[in-house]
Amino acid sequence: MITKDEVNHIANIAKLKISDDEIGLFTEKFDQVMSFVQTIKEVDTENVEPTYKINDEDGFLKENGEIQTLTREEVLRNTVDTQYGYFKILKVVE
Amino acid sequence: MGYKTLIGIEIHVELMTKKKMFCNCKNEFGGDANTHVCPVCLGLPGALPVMDKEALEFSIRAGLAFNSEIEKEVRTDRKNYFYPDLTKGYQISQADLPLCKGGHLDIEIEDKVKRINLDRIHIEEDTGKQLHTEDGVSLLDFNRCGVPLIEIVTKPDINSAEEARLFLEKLRSTIKYIGISDVRMEEGSLRCDVNINVIDDERKLKTKITEVKNLNSFRSVVKAIEFEENRHRELLDKGENTDNETRRWDETLNKTAIMRRKFGASDYRFANEGDLPLIKIEDSYLEEIKNNLPELPHEKKMRFISDYSLSHYDAEVLTGSRELALFFEESYKYVGDSKLLSNWIMGDVLRRLKEEDTQIDELSITPKDLATLILMVKDGKINTNTGKKVLKDMIDTGNSPEEIVKTQGLIQISDEVELEEIVKKTLDNNPQSIEDFKNGKDRAIGFLMGQIMKETKGKANPQMVNKMLLEKINLR
Amino acid sequence: MEISSLKAWEMIEKLLNKEISAEEILSSHLARIEKVEKDINAFITIDRENAIKAAKRVDEKIANGENVGILAGLPVGLKDNIMTKDLRTTCASKMLENFIPPYDATVVRMIRNNDGIILGKTNMDEFAMGGSTETSYFGNTKNPRNLDIVPGGSSGGSAAAVAANEVPVSLGSDTGGSVRQPASYCGVVGLKPTYGMVSRYGVTPMSNSLDQIGTFARDVKDAYLMLKGISGFDPLDGTSSKKAGINFSLENANLKGLKIALPIEYRDLKVTGDEEIRLLFQDALSVFEREGAIIEYVSLPHLKYALETYYIISTAEVSTNLSRLDGIRYGYRTENYETLDELYTMSRTEAFGEETKRRIMMGTYALSAGYQDEHYKKALKVRTLIKNDYDKTFKDFDVILSLTSPILPFPFDSIVNSPVDMYKADLYTVPVNLAGLCAMSLPMGEVNNLPVGLQITGNRFQEEKIIKAGYAFEKVVK
Repeated sequence: MITKDEVNHIANIAKLKISDDEIGLFTEKFDQVMSFVQTIKEVDTENVEPTYKINDEDGFLKENGEIQTLTREEVLRNTVDTQYGYFKILKVVE
Repeated sequence: MGYKTLIGIEIHVELMTKKKMFCNCKNEFGGDANTHVCPVCLGLPGALPVMDKEALEFSIRAGLAFNSEIEKEVRTDRKNYFYPDLTKGYQISQADLPLCKGGHLDIEIEDKVKRINLDRIHIEEDTGKQLHTEDGVSLLDFNRCGVPLIEIVTKPDINSAEEARLFLEKLRSTIKYIGISDVRMEEGSLRCDVNINVIDDERKLKTKITEVKNLNSFRSVVKAIEFEENRHRELLDKGENTDNETRRWDETLNKTAIMRRKFGASDYRFANEGDLPLIKIEDSYLEEIKNNLPELPHEKKMRFISDYSLSHYDAEVLTGSRELALFFEESYKYVGDSKLLSNWIMGDVLRRLKEEDTQIDELSITPKDLATLILMVKDGKINTNTGKKVLKDMIDTGNSPEEIVKTQGLIQISDEVELEEIVKKTLDNNPQSIEDFKNGKDRAIGFLMGQIMKETKGKANPQMVNKMLLEKINLR
Repeated sequence: MEISSLKAWEMIEKLLNKEISAEEILSSHLARIEKVEKDINAFITIDRENAIKAAKRVDEKIANGENVGILAGLPVGLKDNIMTKDLRTTCASKMLENFIPPYDATVVRMIRNNDGIILGKTNMDEFAMGGSTETSYFGNTKNPRNLDIVPGGSSGGSAAAVAANEVPVSLGSDTGGSVRQPASYCGVVGLKPTYGMVSRYGVTPMSNSLDQIGTFARDVKDAYLMLKGISGFDPLDGTSSKKAGINFSLENANLKGLKIALPIEYRDLKVTGDEEIRLLFQDALSVFEREGAIIEYVSLPHLKYALETYYIISTAEVSTNLSRLDGIRYGYRTENYETLDELYTMSRTEAFGEETKRRIMMGTYALSAGYQDEHYKKALKVRTLIKNDYDKTFKDFDVILSLTSPILPFPFDSIVNSPVDMYKADLYTVPVNLAGLCAMSLPMGEVNNLPVGLQITGNRFQEEKIIKAGYAFEKVVK
């Protein structure tokens, strides 16, 4: 059983907020989903390697690749606030 | 007291590749904000990373230079956290399988060699930059985002601030030697964090580790370590302990202060980077890189000791940088006298470099010119003092020694007849000195020598003058 | 006959014979959209102006006697998670409602290079997470066969657009069935190629190790044509395969001697609409047998864990893939923030839909400290076992047949509120992605006037086998 606290903790890590009136129903559905995936625990995976990628091919490196650099206008065009060619947000408290 | 300080250092080095780590934007310092940015390093939806060949090669060079074990497969992982300078919400780095395992760097301290062991070297990408303005606003520039980095982590084998300094100097010169970075702390291509604690062997106590950040120069590193070492020891004296915390070094106040816990740095949830399949490093590729590696500092030093019959210390100094070693060897071709050459370089040349805080390749004298100068002194054309003055002129003006000596008429006076004349005159003018000398005051010779030098504007051959003075005084 | 009712290959034939122009092809489709789009809502954005310009250019090329590409003059619909330069791309989310990409996905470049016409961006489940296109910020897409029924998802818009003749071909993305299932529900062909066959550069990822772009069309030949036009190795995509690319003739495709495997594990499953779908499937199998194929039951014992394995892996991967959506450099930014934490949290919370949030959280949980070994790494191992089952099967068989969906297309609002039921509908499609195989869904009949699809699965880089089998089957049942 997943608790509301655990759900809130995960939401925090993922930078999401589940509001107080939603948390009950959300936790319920979340719990259903998490229970659903529990069955793989019973599979015997002794000596089995994990599959990260399905192709048998090795990765490749780049050399003299196509330049993808954008103009500054293109870089900044989709953000809400800019100044002097920089992205602008409120000050980060450290 | 039985206190021992344990220091580990984490160093980030920006590689000077032509392109960024995972995209083809230029890897260039400076530049107008956000002009070296593409969908990949900006973190646009759908953009994908591909690893840079040059960056991998440079990283392998580092592993070889520090005697690490190079992993046969390059695996990357995502380090997940949120921060404005991190465009994807994760940094592509390496977790369980770093490119290089182990390794070491030897330093010379108090005439003994000490080995500082490395834990690992791994590859990752740099983040963007944040500027804070006065009106409570943060400005973000992503030119630096995606620049290739290697992270070098030492074991806590360093035991003092001095050792840390020596280690960093050696690290820096080695990295410059293999040509993978210009390692300038002022430009951010070399950054380090220090982990420090103190143990009390007698009482079997140890303080909790403090991480120190915001170190902008080797001097700061030294001062910060000394400060922290003291702080830890004082607490131990009182029977107290430090906290496991991160502190930042304050350059103006000369102390460390607690840093607020970094936003978002909790559970990194390291997971395999699904967009970058494993890259295999074939043995032949490794061999190729090994063969193309320039001679490493230690090898060069050993060679200098045997080829040039230099002392350990002298060889250490002369191979301190690749450029200096090159200068020495070039110059040697013309001079042929390693002892003489090393004296000149380690004395006057290095002193000048230190005064002006420059590197040998920024000086306007050539190895050949230095050799010419040295030979001029050796052959007696000019005396040593004159030689030093000429050297200064050479550095200031960039002119050759021949030109300077000719223009200023500095050729040493070695003509016996001319010198005899001057010596005789000086003795005639300074009877008191003769008297003093005969009464046992040896300093009088120095005074007479000084007079002669003044008279000849420093050009008199000192050995000859000295001989003549003694002969003539004894005849009077 | 309306141009928009023709098959794509027929349009190209007539274009090259100069019977019709590219502009005429386009206007026919624009007229069709004018007529039906308000009922179907297959598109989020339609780029009329640039489509007309592109059509004119194709006509110019033909008039000048220049060579044109293999997709010449075809209006194409693109799922809205595929980046199109200067054309709004939203992933059906409020987060990207006004996002104008500054770059093209590789597949888009290839379509342009092949003289295809980008007509518009189609509707989908938000960030490709869903099976009914009911989670889009831009409203539901209706199934052209029955407007009260879902078109399937997550590529519902692309499937519906083709089914409604609004475009002859379209692209979708398939992570666990998102091309095949809507194809089945809308009664069209949906083709998912081998992992690595088509570039993922410029496609908003759901799950890096499972995603592939797939093609929709009204017949197998068209679906194949579209795939030909977009497949190939891409140096900008690290997961792209050096073996990518297809080119073969459909000419002598036939089913004689085709060795077909049927997973025993599927035979006895109880599903809704059970009996009638099963009868339809039996009919299809009879067709294969009549034409000379050999059918056998085989056991793939780990298939029964495929769903859980899929949901752990895909959510783990999507949770990090969506971390870049934070409102800082692009996308929705909240106005309710005073701290940095609030900037991130409120932007994401206000802009993501419920299913998206749920899956991000599932994935975060699967990767979190203390659980990663138990969940994510375990799932990756079970994946190996599933892949091994398939590898073994394909040693002795050419293709695997199954239904595409265990259930009939369903009415709106019926299962979207029950996530687990929604996930279970992916039963037959997810294992294909786990093993990186190629698969195609093609119409095989109707139950209660609702389309039912047949899924043909082939081994990695065996597109030729499944496409030829599908083509031959299609010819027989016509």
